[in-house]
Amino acid sequence: MKRVRDLSIAQRLAAMFALAALLVFALVGVALYHVLQTQIVRYQHAELATKLRYVVGSVALCETHERWLKVEDKVQNLISSDRSTKVWAWSSNPDYRIGDAEPTISGATSRRDLGMGRLLLPGAEYPYRTLQELVPALGNRPAVRVSVAIDSKPYVSALRWFTLIMLALGVCGIALVALLGHWIARVGLRPLQRLSNEAQTLSPSNLSQRLQPTELPPELGRLTGTFNGALDRLEAAYTRLDAFNADVAHELRTPLTNLMGQTQVALSRPREVAQLEDVLQSNLEELERMRGIINDMLFLSRAGQGDIALDRVCVPLAEEVAKTGEFLEYLLEEVGMQLRIDGAVDAWIDTSLFRRAMTNLLHNAVQHATPGSEIVVELRGGDAAHSDCGTGARVAVRNHGAGVPPQHLARMFDRFYRVDAAREHRGERHHGLGLSIVKAIASLHGGTVFADSREGRTTVGFSLATPQPHSPA
Amino acid sequence: MKLLIVEDEAKTADYLRDGLAEQGWAVDVARDGTTGLHLARELDYDVIVLDVMLPGMDGFAVLRELRLRKQTPVIMLTARDRIDDRVHGLGAGADDYLVKPFSFIELLARLQALVRRGRQQEPTELQIGDLQINLIARRAFRDATRLDLTGKEFALLALLAQRRGQILSKTVIAAQVWDINFDSHTNVVEVAIKRLRAKIDGPFRNKLLHTVRGMGYVLEAREGDEDDDAPVAGRGSA
Repeated sequence: MKRVRDLSIAQRLAAMFALAALLVFALVGVALYHVLQTQIVRYQHAELATKLRYVVGSVALCETHERWLKVEDKVQNLISSDRSTKVWAWSSNPDYRIGDAEPTISGATSRRDLGMGRLLLPGAEYPYRTLQELVPALGNRPAVRVSVAIDSKPYVSALRWFTLIMLALGVCGIALVALLGHWIARVGLRPLQRLSNEAQTLSPSNLSQRLQPTELPPELGRLTGTFNGALDRLEAAYTRLDAFNADVAHELRTPLTNLMGQTQVALSRPREVAQLEDVLQSNLEELERMRGIINDMLFLSRAGQGDIALDRVCVPLAEEVAKTGEFLEYLLEEVGMQLRIDGAVDAWIDTSLFRRAMTNLLHNAVQHATPGSEIVVELRGGDAAHSDCGTGARVAVRNHGAGVPPQHLARMFDRFYRVDAAREHRGERHHGLGLSIVKAIASLHGGTVFADSREGRTTVGFSLATPQPHSPA
Repeated sequence: MKLLIVEDEAKTADYLRDGLAEQGWAVDVARDGTTGLHLARELDYDVIVLDVMLPGMDGFAVLRELRLRKQTPVIMLTARDRIDDRVHGLGAGADDYLVKPFSFIELLARLQALVRRGRQQEPTELQIGDLQINLIARRAFRDATRLDLTGKEFALLALLAQRRGQILSKTVIAAQVWDINFDSHTNVVEVAIKRLRAKIDGPFRNKLLHTVRGMGYVLEAREGDEDDDAPVAGRGSA
């Protein structure tokens, strides 16, 4: 047995059409049945009334027994010409009677218009319909009660037939409606089928493939648009991942090439111990470089999966920045730069991660600033002047230097992205993950990163959100 | 000092054994968990290096079984560094945790720290060659000359002196001196060492602060070793 949710849309619609048809047919059938029944009762009454008037007319004029016999003849004629009619005349005088016994009529109402009753005769399938009237005494004749009955069999069977035919027609009608409904639904849903077929042809080998929104009804057009949007995002993510893999491979390939090449060269002929030591030391540097890349990649990947537990405390950011500044003090001194912290704000941070982000940002600033210039770390509360832990924070590092061309600003935080495409960079350890790590740390703190550069003033920074009450630490 | 290595990867086990033996450790190696557990229970080691991924019985199981009887210090090694792994290992009774790829000197430093734990207090006066350091007064002398060191320079010197003869990696130095517990990809440590070297070794013939290229720095008196390496070797010098 199929459950409702297993039914196709066409089947559901067909079933719903059938249900609607059933309801309509039933209502119409009941109404027609009632109308017909009322009409039949009226017709019966009219017929009975005619016959009664005919008999009553004769009886009323009869005042002697002689005349009564003629009345009997008339009644006999009436009965024999219409076998379904029965007539009784009953009075206190046995001479003035027609019929064997007084009929026991049930259900006769006293209503003047429809004084119809029922009479069940032995051997008859259906009760007879009756109408009666009392004729007052005249001359010798006593008062006579005249009763007329007609067989209701033709009427009842007519009603039966009508009902049967109605039912049969109804069932046929419902079936027809269901079939037509199914067909209509299928025709109506054809665009959906086409869309489904089209979606089946989508494959990872052709990422730019999209569903065709033309010639589709508006409802499906919107769905297609939404779906294509999802495909766009997937393609972008996939492309990014692809580029990322290529970057990783490239970044690891360089030290690997050095390792293999140097080792092979060293082993190709006998070497002095000092030379071999030199190779080993160089190899170790390459290996350290690889370890750095792998560790940073793992950090980014785990941060992306939300797999890093934050240990957040509420601290004055200026102190943390100062500690990072202390760490980088020697570097700043070497290039004659000053670090200035502007503003004070407290925020919920994981101090280790915050220092890591600050180290990367400041190191980045040192590398790109003009020697002798000043690096400013601007600390602002999330809303205006407040400096408590409830408002979040904004940390911006500003330096003066060559500046960053606008087309690079948005991509600065991408993994392995370098402003200098030739991959020339000061400092051997820089492998283009520093700002991505800043971004990851910012998003771990519910914040974002930003970058701006104009007239040689470059500002790079991130924001920190206040944690939700359930995860304050 | 006696040490047990439980590690199934042959190359890793071999270089660890050779390297640690050279550093003066008596090293036993077990290639699987069951043997490792047996050895650890039957013999007394000062410290155990235990790999997590082992055939038959994994490191966590070995540790659990071992802890039922013994409290030998254990350093776990693993290629996985998920936080729950870390918690699992430490929760099961490990004393330390190292993630592959780890550097050999890092392992060495951790092993020494574990063995040192619980020993009597470090001396407050240190003497390396003609270098004298008073950790309480925070003063350093060479011969009779007082060395003029900044706070960070003294902290760096004290760290190197306390672990004299040991190679300290840049990571360890950054963590101990600046509380920077991640790979900063900067050459701060190199610059700091260069400055310290200028002050403690610059004017003197006998050099004490040595660079081990690719690994780190070591403070020790090397007799008759006059032509030690150039101030800072390698490309990293700024």
